[in-house]
This record gives sequence, C-alpha cells and structure tokens, in this order.
Amino acid sequence: MEMGRDLALLAPELTLAAAAMLMIVAEMFRAARLVLAIGLAGLAAATILTLPMLSVDATVFGGTYRIDLISGWAKLILLPGTALSLLLVRAEIAGRPREGSVQSLVVLVTLGALMLSGAGDMMVVVIGVVLTGLGSFALVAWPRDDAATEAAMKYLVFGAVTGSVMIYGLTFWFGGTGSTLFSGLGQLQGQTLVTIAGLIAIIVGLGYKGSLVPFHFWAPDAYQGAPVSIAAYLSVITKAAAFFAFAQVLRDLPRDGGWPLALAVIAAATMTYGYLAALVQTNLVRLIAYSSVAQSGYFLMGVVALGASGFAVPGILVFAAAYVAMNLGAFAVVLLAGRDLDDLEGFGRTHPWLGAAMVVFLLSLTGIPPLFGFVGKFYLLSAAVEAGFLWLAIIGILNSVLALGVYLRLVVPMYRELRPGGTQGRGNPLTLAVVLVVLVATLFMGLTAGLLPGP
Amino acid sequence: MPLLTIATFLPILAGLALMALPDRSTRTAHAVSIAATGAVFLITLVIWARGIVAGDFAQVEEIAWIPAIGAAYRLGVDGLSLPLVLLTSLLFLLSALYSARVGERAASYVVLMLMLETASLGTFMALDGLLFYVFFEVSLVGMYFMIAGWGYEERQRAALMFFLYTLLGSLPLLLAIIGLYLGSGTFDMRVWVEGTTLGGLPATLALIAMLVTFAVKIPAFPVHTWLPAAHVQAPTAGSVILAGVMLKFGTYGLVRFAYQMTPEAFAQAGQVILAFGVVSALYGAFAALAQSDLKKMIAYTSVNHMGYVVMGVAIAALAAEPRIRTIALDGAALQMVSHGLVTGALFFLVGMLQDRAHTRRIGDFGGLLGRVPWLGWAFILSAFASLGLPGLAHFPAEFQIFLATLNGMPWGLIAILAIVVTAALYLRAIAGVFLGEMNDKWAEMSDLDQREKTVIVPLLILTVLVGVAPSWLIDMIHTTMTGLDN
Repeated sequence: MEMGRDLALLAPELTLAAAAMLMIVAEMFRAARLVLAIGLAGLAAATILTLPMLSVDATVFGGTYRIDLISGWAKLILLPGTALSLLLVRAEIAGRPREGSVQSLVVLVTLGALMLSGAGDMMVVVIGVVLTGLGSFALVAWPRDDAATEAAMKYLVFGAVTGSVMIYGLTFWFGGTGSTLFSGLGQLQGQTLVTIAGLIAIIVGLGYKGSLVPFHFWAPDAYQGAPVSIAAYLSVITKAAAFFAFAQVLRDLPRDGGWPLALAVIAAATMTYGYLAALVQTNLVRLIAYSSVAQSGYFLMGVVALGASGFAVPGILVFAAAYVAMNLGAFAVVLLAGRDLDDLEGFGRTHPWLGAAMVVFLLSLTGIPPLFGFVGKFYLLSAAVEAGFLWLAIIGILNSVLALGVYLRLVVPMYRELRPGGTQGRGNPLTLAVVLVVLVATLFMGLTAGLLPGP
Repeated sequence: MPLLTIATFLPILAGLALMALPDRSTRTAHAVSIAATGAVFLITLVIWARGIVAGDFAQVEEIAWIPAIGAAYRLGVDGLSLPLVLLTSLLFLLSALYSARVGERAASYVVLMLMLETASLGTFMALDGLLFYVFFEVSLVGMYFMIAGWGYEERQRAALMFFLYTLLGSLPLLLAIIGLYLGSGTFDMRVWVEGTTLGGLPATLALIAMLVTFAVKIPAFPVHTWLPAAHVQAPTAGSVILAGVMLKFGTYGLVRFAYQMTPEAFAQAGQVILAFGVVSALYGAFAALAQSDLKKMIAYTSVNHMGYVVMGVAIAALAAEPRIRTIALDGAALQMVSHGLVTGALFFLVGMLQDRAHTRRIGDFGGLLGRVPWLGWAFILSAFASLGLPGLAHFPAEFQIFLATLNGMPWGLIAILAIVVTAALYLRAIAGVFLGEMNDKWAEMSDLDQREKTVIVPLLILTVLVGVAPSWLIDMIHTTMTGLDN
C-alpha cells in the first residue's frame, strides 16, 4: 500500500532508470541510433510523468527522498536539458566508437542528478554525488587522448577527496541528530561545532559538484579535455543539480549557525574569481568554463537566502532553467564555430542568425533584460537583498559589468571583417535545432516568467 | 485602442517584418524605416490630441505579466513623459529620413534604429519598474551595436566604453528598483511616485543608487567622459538619437525616480545635487570652448545644457514655495525638449557638413556661408538657440530655471557664466566655419538638397515656435508639474 504510493510518486525516476538500462542493452548490440531513441523516449516520458506531480509535496521511503517543488521543477529543467545534450552528443561524435556508451552514461548521470535534487537524506546525497561523479569521470575520459585522460584523472582525484571529506563530515550531523534525515537538522539548534563540521562537509562535497571557488580547479581542465557536448552537459546538468541539493539540505538548517555569511563570502569570491579568470582565457571552452564558475556564485546567492526570503527557492529554479538554456546555447555555438577565440573571427558576418543567437545567449548570461537570464538574476538579487545581504547583491551587480567585459570579448570579433578563407559550412542540423530551441527559451521565457515558480 | 502599446511596438515589429522579407535591399529597408517611424509619429500626435489629466497618468494600458511578484505590463503618459514621447517620435522620423543614404548593411541598420525607437518610447511610457528597466537596458544594447557597426574609425573602443560605462551606471538602478519593490510589494510606478514607499536610510541608499545611474546617463560631471567619445565615433543619426533622446532618460529618471520616489531624501541632498548641476553646466561650457572638433564641441554643450536641468530639479526640491517649485520643474522639463530639438538639429548639420567635407575640424573651414547658405543659416540659427538667445527654444526654459534659482538658491546663479562661455564658443565656431576667408578646397561644396532640407526645416520651425510661443508646450508640462508638490 505505502510501497505502491511511493513507487507511483517515483514514476519519472523509475522510467529514466529503465531507459538507462535499456540503453546499455542496446549498446551491447552497438545500435547507436536505438540507444539515442530509447534515451530520448525515456526522457520525454519522464518529463510528461512529472507534470501532474508539480503540486505534490510529499516524501517517499521514510522521508529519504522528496517529491516537492524543487525536485519537480528540477526534473522539468534537467530532463529536457539532458535530451538537448544527447542531441549535441549525437551531432558531435556520431559514428565514433562507443557513442552509445556515452549516451547511456549521460542518462545515468542525469539519474544521479535527480537523486541530488530530491535528496531528503544524507545517504541519498552521497549516492547522488557518487552516481553523477563516476559517470562524469568516464565521460570526460572518453576521447582517450592525453588531455582527456589527464582531465579525467584530475576530476577523479578531486572527486574522491571531496567525496570522502563529505562523508566524514556528515557523520557529525548524524551524531548530532541521531538520524540521517535532513528534516531532523532543526535539532542542531545550539550545537554550533557539530553544525559547522557537517556544513563544511556539504560545502566541500556539493561545492565541488557546483564548481565553487576554491573547489573549481577541475572544471576548466575537464571541460577542455572532454568533447564540447559533454562539457556543455556537465556544465549545466550536474551543476544545477548541485544547487538543487544545496537547497534541499540547507533549507532545514537553522540560520543562526552563521552559515549564510560563510556561503555569501564564497559566493562573492566565486563570481569575482570566475569572471577575472575568464577575462584572460583565449580558449573558448575554458572561457565559458570560467564564466560557468562565476555563474555558480549567482546560484549561491539564492542558497544564502534560503529560509530568509521567498525569492530564494524560485530564484534558484528560474535561474537554473535560464542557465541550462543559455549555457547549452553558448556551447552549441562553440561546437559549430570552433574551440578557439580566433575561430569566432567574422563568425557573425558569415552566419548572421547563429551570430545573433550567440549574442542573445551572452547577453542573457550577463543578465540583460528582458532575456531569461535577467529574470533569474533578478530573483536571486532580490533574495539576497531581502535576506539582508545587500553587499552581496552589490558585488553580484558589479560582477555583471565584469561579465559584460568577458562576453564582449566574444561578440566583438564575431562582427569584425572576415579573414580571407575563413568561411565555414552550415553546421550539423541537430546542433542547429538545439540552438533554435534554447534560443526561443532564452528570448521568450523571460516574458512568460509568470508560468514559473514565484515567491 | 491601445495606442501607447501600438506606438511602442510598431517599430520593432516593422523591423522583424523587414528581417523576414525576402527582399532586404537598401531601398526596401529605408522605405520600411520611414513608413514605420512616420506612422509612429502620427500615432503619438493622436496620443497628444487625446490629452493628459492633472495629478495622474493618462491613457493607462495594463496587462498582468508576473502576477506572483506584482510586475505588470503598464504604460501611461503625463505632462513629463508626453513631450518627450513626441520629441522621440519626431527625431526618429527625421533620423530615418536622414539615414536614407546609409548603404552599408542598411537592413541591419534599420532594424537597430527601430529597436532603439521601441526601447526609447517604452522607457518614457513605462509605468512598471521592471518594464522600465527592461526598455532602459535594451536601448543600451541597441546603441552599442549602432556605434560599433556604423561609427567612425575608433568605433569599437568608443562603443565598448559607452556600453561598460552606462551598464555600470545602470546597475545601481536595479538595486534601487529591488529596494522599492521590497518596500511596496509591487512594481507599479504609480504607487512608487507617491513617494512614501521608502523612508530613512533605505530611501537615502536608493536615492544614491538612482543618482549614480542617472548622472551617468545625463551625463553630469564627473561621469560624463563616455559622452564625447561615443558622440565623436557614432554615426550622425546615432548622435542625434543619443543626444536628443537617450540623454533624456537620465533627466526623465531624475525627476520620475529620484525626485518623485524618494522626495525627502532628495530634498536633503538638494544642495549637493544643485552643486553637481552647476559644476556640470560650467564644466561643459568650458570643455566645449576648448574643442576644435565641431561634433565634440556640441557634445560638450550637452553636458552644459543637461547641467541646467539638474539645477532645475534640485531647486524644485529645495524650494519652500510651491510656485518656485513649479517654475523650476516647468523649466527643467521644457529644457529637455528644447535640447532635443536644438542639439538634434546641430548634430544633423555637422553630419551634413562632414558628409561633404569628410572633416569636422573648425580650422579646416572658412567662409562657407556664401557657398552653402542653407547649411550656414540653419547652423547659425541653431547655434543661437543653443546659446540661449531670446526668441529661440532654450530661452524660455533656461529663463525659468534661472528665475527659480534666483528665488531659491541665489548662489547657483554663477552658472549664468556658462551662458557667456557658450556664446563665445558658438560665435567662434560660426566665425571659423562660415565667415571669413573662404578655403578654396570647398569651392565645389553643394548646399542642402531636398531630403536634407526636409530633415532640418521642421526642427528649425519648432525651435522658433518653442522660443516665441512656448505656451502650447508649457501648458502640457505645467498640468502635471503643479501636482508634484511633495
């Protein structure tokens, strides 16, 4: 009876898990197209199954997994994002060996991301971190060249160390509350040392996933070593999942432990460092990687305000949706244009539509209204101000200027005179389709923000 | 009929339609541009004919947008915004006519111009804080691409400087908007302008944020440095729009946001704001005097003229008597329109001169009046208007501002010195370019053609009309300004 209800509520996750298994079976027969088809069908089915559950607020399996606003919208954001990533993967590595394995791993990592987004228990967070981590290491290592192997190795070592620290630290919370459930964290009121120990664990473990400074070192290397489509995928899906997990964990933690201030400092450092580092990159993938680090700082503004502002949770969700759309779009254009800043020279003149799309993605990443990214940033800034962190909002706003400097480094060469012989082909239709979808979302979702969660 | 909405979005829709057309030749592009801006001009005339009401916004159009946070699509006009709306639609129409000779990537140029018109009209008519910010920022993006794509030699640097400067400037406004929202629970500017949303320290912080934003946009000393660079590099129509329309975002915001939304904090800071206005007026005049480039010279006189507007608003906040307050605000609002007409004409004329001579240095010319009488006399008339000669557009505005200053804060009258300097610099420019010995290089220069006359004559007529009989304009402004007695 209870079991049946739980399983019904888990229908999207179970569908996705089944699809992942079927994909692996199909890959055994080296049927790459079939793998992709099963993956897309599974993602679509799971998305549709999520829709009726958006208003549900429940927990399953004794409170360890949450079906609520955050996990519901997380599915609506992560599942279509994954589907678009699968198309990019197909466009980039079609016909290459083990293409189906890459596709299956992507879906498995997304399953881990869903676990993180719905986590109501420390063990679920650990499982989510491990599931996303293991799949991601393999994805980064896929090209099997030196750069990829080195990047995957760094990623793995970093992941192993931060994962261990996290598990060790979580034992303090377990000791303090006698339970692994996050809903019991309220009992930590007054036990400052225990709170801080567990908090450090969470910041290290999830901060690594979300590439917060100073746990971000793996990100630029991993994105650069991996195929562009995988970099795109990792930069949006696993990162967004990390912040959904932050929201699930910290919303039950008493705010008097001083953690909002600690996270605010990390947020400020992350956005500033990310953009400063991006300013000096010449490799496009590394540049966007550092800009993604900076965007993590904005996500963290919402986490800082958890429990103190009605904008916090909607801010994280809306910004995640916007971030998935615009960052995927920027990476998709990189996939078409080339990995180096010089490859963009004259790109806007040879490809007027793609150039305009790139400008829209970059302006949205900067936070220029009325684009989608602006609405997300606006919610996050409002959350920070309402939670009493005016200084953090000011730093966030000042960083928007730095962001503009970073992104104009891409826009300006795009509209320079074309180098002789610099024309490129039309580009893969799958990639173009992905660009179109995320472009429509970036342009118009800001105007229809009333449909998304609000305070 | 939702005329405000139609006027605002007709340009951008025409631009999108042009992008979708199979034939995007130069001819079609300019035809679409002139037709769209012409239609918008007629619509704004109808909006004018429909009239405004005292003490409130008129012709309000409202649709829910993000109900959860109280943001809605809200447009409306009053005596402060309607004159600026009319000025905007007129200057865009004339710019479209003038630009009909732009051949390089004409379709993209036209689309950008039309996008700028939508953003400008939206900025003046928005009654929702979030919507205002959206239009305000979109105008930045449009102007950046305008300068970067169709400007002169140093355009990339100037465009970047313009964008970074004004974005850095506009972001504090976002904080102020967040503050006003958190204080009131809505983005409705009609609630905010009651002036009771914020008080004490929050009001002061919000005021500082808004002053930073609008000072950059106006631009007031010492954050004016982007203006000469942007103007010198921008294409002629871009300069006209930048000076004629976009600088008014700053002064409009100064009245609508800073003065109306945080009135007590504004009155406390009145002396400081007045000082910034006086310094801007003087600095702009002296800096203009030092220029040898005609366009840069006119750009600096904008700093001067906008300084008077800042003075007027500051005097209004400081004045104890309602009568003085109304005179100051009437003068400030009228000065915005006069500056749009006169400086718009001057930038057009310098552009026409540059089209012929490919130089703007005063020293390169001489004795042109006999050769190009239309161009010469038009410039002389506009220059006299710009230096504040009675009977021309700036006189009634500056007269009211100085009258209010005399009654409110007499020390501010040192700014009158700027008028003397302005007179000197314009006389020097007229003498250098149009009088004296003629340079043989320009013996073949042709006078204004039909299209150029069509662009310049309406501005000259309005300059004289506002100077001689300003009541039709002042009455409209006055209807609203008498109500702003907070």
